[in-house]
Amino acid sequence: MNKRLILKLAGSVLLVEAALMFAPLIISLIMRSGDWSAFALSIAITLAAGSGLSQVRPRDDTLSAREGFAVVTLSWLFVSFCGALPFFLSGAIPSLVDSVFETVSGFTTTGATILTNVEGLTRGLLFWRSLTHWAGGMGVLVLSLAIIPKMGGRSIYLMRAESSGPSTEKLVPRVGKTAKILYQLYIGMSLILMIALLLCGVNWYDSLIHTFGAAGTGGFSNYNASVAHLNNPAAEIVLGVFMVLFGVNFAVYYHVIHRNWSTLKQGSEWQLFLGIVAASTLAVAFSILRMPEFQGHFGRALRATFFQVSSIITTTGYATEDFNRWPQFSRTLLLVLMVIGGCAGSTAGGLKVIRIQVLFKSMARDIRKTVHPRSVNVIKLDGRALDEKLISGVQGYFFAAMMLIILSTLAVSLDNFDFETSFTAVVATFFNIGPGLSMVGPTGNFTAFSPAAKCVLILCMLMGRLEIFPILMLAAPSAYEK
Amino acid sequence: MNIIIVSDGQVGYTLAEYLSRDGHDITLVDKSRRALQKASETLDVLCVLGSGANLRTLIEAGAEAADIIIAATTNDELNMVSCLAAKQLGAKYAIARVRDPEYTESLTLLQDKLDIDQAINPERATAQEISRLMRFPFAINVESFAHGRVEMVEFRVEKSDRIDSVPLSHLHGRYPHVQFNAVLREGEAIIPGGGFEIHIGDRLYVTGDRVSVTAFFKQLGRDTQRAKNAILIGGGHVSYYLAKTMAGMGIHLKIVEVNEEKCKSLSETLDNAVVINGDGTDRELLESENIRDHDALICLTDRDEENLVTGLYGVRLGMRKVIVKINRLETMDIIGDMGIDSVVSPKLATANVILRAVRARSHSQSSVIEKVYPLLANQAEAYEFVALSGGSYLNIPLNRLSLKRGVLVSMIVRGRQIIIPFGSDHIEAGDTVILTALAGTMVDLKDAFDATER
Repeated sequence: MNKRLILKLAGSVLLVEAALMFAPLIISLIMRSGDWSAFALSIAITLAAGSGLSQVRPRDDTLSAREGFAVVTLSWLFVSFCGALPFFLSGAIPSLVDSVFETVSGFTTTGATILTNVEGLTRGLLFWRSLTHWAGGMGVLVLSLAIIPKMGGRSIYLMRAESSGPSTEKLVPRVGKTAKILYQLYIGMSLILMIALLLCGVNWYDSLIHTFGAAGTGGFSNYNASVAHLNNPAAEIVLGVFMVLFGVNFAVYYHVIHRNWSTLKQGSEWQLFLGIVAASTLAVAFSILRMPEFQGHFGRALRATFFQVSSIITTTGYATEDFNRWPQFSRTLLLVLMVIGGCAGSTAGGLKVIRIQVLFKSMARDIRKTVHPRSVNVIKLDGRALDEKLISGVQGYFFAAMMLIILSTLAVSLDNFDFETSFTAVVATFFNIGPGLSMVGPTGNFTAFSPAAKCVLILCMLMGRLEIFPILMLAAPSAYEK
Repeated sequence: MNIIIVSDGQVGYTLAEYLSRDGHDITLVDKSRRALQKASETLDVLCVLGSGANLRTLIEAGAEAADIIIAATTNDELNMVSCLAAKQLGAKYAIARVRDPEYTESLTLLQDKLDIDQAINPERATAQEISRLMRFPFAINVESFAHGRVEMVEFRVEKSDRIDSVPLSHLHGRYPHVQFNAVLREGEAIIPGGGFEIHIGDRLYVTGDRVSVTAFFKQLGRDTQRAKNAILIGGGHVSYYLAKTMAGMGIHLKIVEVNEEKCKSLSETLDNAVVINGDGTDRELLESENIRDHDALICLTDRDEENLVTGLYGVRLGMRKVIVKINRLETMDIIGDMGIDSVVSPKLATANVILRAVRARSHSQSSVIEKVYPLLANQAEAYEFVALSGGSYLNIPLNRLSLKRGVLVSMIVRGRQIIIPFGSDHIEAGDTVILTALAGTMVDLKDAFDATER
C-alpha cells in the first residue's frame, strides 16, 4: 500500500476538521460559554497533526481501491480522535473513551450519547457536538474533496468508500464537482430547514442545533428531552418532513433541479422509501391509538407517529415521545425500520432501501429458479439490468452486517444487561440511529456500559457509517502485503 | 468542455484519459460493463452503460448540453447514428469515426446530411503513417508538420552514426539545419539541453525540412534510399488505403490475403497491386514470392500474434523495413525490444486524430493548435501552433523569454523560411511554431513560457 499517500490525504482531512472547529470557537466567544480555550487548544493540535501529515511527500499519487478504503478509515479514526479533544480537554467529559464515543456518535450521525445531563454541557461544546453530525452526514472526505482542488488522481475511490449504498454514481464527470454539488444541495436544504424552524418560533441557537441533527440524520439535541422539549407542534412537523427529505438520495434533488422528470420517475428507491414511511406511520398510529394519552386523538397520534417513524427510518433518533412505552407491535416495527434505514446516497444509515430491494429481487429470482430450473433471469432495477457482482455484493454485505451485529451483541452482553438492551444498543449504533429500546430507549443513554462495551459500540458506529468493508479490510493481513 | 465519447473498449479509454487530463469533462458511453468499470475506477470521468444510438442513454449522458460528441466505435453506421441522434438532442459538434472505403467516397454528402461536423478515418491515417515510413526505411517513426514542409524523424542511434558522446551544442555546429528534439533512453523521455550527450541505442527525434533531414542522414552514412517495393500481409481497410497511397508514390506492392472474397474485391478496386490469395504466415508462400527481394514487409492482419511472428521472420531475413500492426496498445514497447521498431496501431491513430480535432476546437485567443503528435511512448508530445497577434511573447527574442523546463522550441516556420531558433530569434504573429514538451503540459502557445517575463 502507498502508505505515504494515505497519510498525506488523511492529513488534509484533518486540516479541514481544524477549519470546522473554528465555528464552535466563534460561537463560544460570542456566547461567552467559557470553553474557548479547549477549542483553541484542540485546533492547535489538529492543525499541527494535519499540516505535519500533509507535508508527507508520496512517491507517486496513484490511488487504488484498497488505498481509498484505508484513507477513509484512517481519516475517520483521526478525525474522531481530534474531534474528541474539546470534550476531553475542557473536562466536560472526563473519560477519553466517553469523549471518543460521543464524537464518533456525532460524526457517524448516530446520536447515541453517554451524557446523563446534556443540558449541562457548555454552548460551544453542544454546538460542536451537533456540527459533527452535519459534517459526518454527507462525509468529511466528500467535504475535503469539495474544498481541496486536487486530492490526487483516482479520488472516486475515496467517495465510494465514504458514501453510503451499494454503488456510488457521480452526478457530473468530475469527482470534485460532484462533491461540490452534493454540498451545495446539502447546505441549501439545511438553510431552508433552519429558516423554517425560525419561522416556527424556535430560537436561532436551537434551530441551528436541530438543523445539524436533522440534516445529518444524527439526532443530538441540546435538551435532555430531545425535540419534545421544544414543545412546538409546527417545529415537530417541519423536522419530521425534513428528516424524511434528508433520508432520500441526494441525486433525486439534483434531478429535480435539472428537471430530469423521466429519470426521477424511473427511480424506484425514493418512491419505495416514501411508501414505507407512509405505511408504517399509519400502522403505528393505529396501534398506539389504544394508549390512554392518545385515546381518540387520531391527529395527535398521527403527528407523534410520523415524527417517530421519520426519525427512526432515517436513523436520526430524535424523540418527541417515549416510544419505548408503546405497544410491542409498534416497538418491533420501529426496530424493523431501524434496520431498513434510508436511501443510498443520503445522510441516513441503516441497510438502505436499495439493498432491501435487491435482496428481495434476488430472492424472487431464486424462487423462480426452483420452479423453472433452466430459466434465465436478469434482475432489473429502475429499468436496467443489475450487475451480478453488485447483487452478490449486496448479499455479502447483508451477511457481514448480520454477523457483526450478532458478534457485537455477544460481546456487549458481557455487561449483563437484558437482551433487548444489548441487542438494540448494537443495532442502534451499527445502523447509526442513536436510541434503541429498553435501557437505551429515547429517555435512556449509553452511560451504563463498561468501557470495553463502549469500544465495541464505537467500532459498530464506524463500521455502520463506512459500510463495514473499509474497516474489515484494515484487519486483513493481506492488505499490508507488498 | 463537456465531451461525450461513444466507444467500444480501448479507443474510448485512451481518449478519455487524454481529454480528461486536458481539463475537459468527459462522459464515456460504452456497451461493455467491463470497459466502463476500468474507466470509472482509474479516470475522473462519468460512465454510462448503453449504446450510443439509444436516445435514453444519450440523454442520460447529457447530450443536450454536450459541446462535442465523439463516436469512435468500430461500427461506422452506429457512429453515424450516434452523432445524428446527439446532434438532434442538442450536442454542438459531432466527430464520427468512419472507416469503410464505401463510405469515404460519398462522405461529403453523408456528412452534410447526417450533420457530422468531422469524419475521421484512422485506417487512412495509419496508411499515411506507413507510407511516410517507406521514405525513411531506417526510421522508427516519421511525422510531418506545417503542411508537410517540416519532417520529424525518430531513429535509433548506432555506433556508425558517430554522433554519440558529443554535446548537443557541438552537434548543432556540425548539423546546423536540423534540430534535436527529444530522446528516449531506457524508457524515459528527455527533452535535451545544450550540454546533453547522445548515447548509442537512444531513440532520437530530429526535425528539419525534407531536404535537410535527408542530407543529415546522408551525412550520418545512413541508407536514405526509399523503399521501392513491399509485401503486405492482410487485406483490410488499412491495406486498401495504403495501396492507394503507395501507387501514387511508385512503390510496387504485393498483397497477401487468406480470404478469397477479400482478394477479389481488392483486385477489383486496386489496379497497380498484385493480390495473392494465401496464408501470410506460410513461409513457403513468402519464399516463393521472393520475399528477400523486397525492401519492406508490412503485417496488417487482424491478429497481433500473426503480425508479430511474420514480422520477426522478416527481421531475421534482414529486410530493410518491417512494420507491424498491433491492436493491444500495452504490448507496443515490448515489441520494440524484440527488434521490430516500427509498430503502427489504428487504435492509437484514432485516439490521436480525435485528440487533435478536439484540441484544435478548444483553441485560445492567442494561438491555434494545429497538431499534437505523441512522441516516445506518449511521454512527450510535439505541438504545432500558429501564433496569432496579441500574444505577450511575440517579437521578443527567445533568450529574454523564460521558457518552462522541459519545453523546446524546435522550429519556427515563417512564410517560406524555416528557422531553427536560437536565443536571438523571436516569434511573430502568423508564424507556425513547432514545440516539443513533456506530455500533457501544453494547451496554448503561451503555456510554453513562464507567466512573468524577465
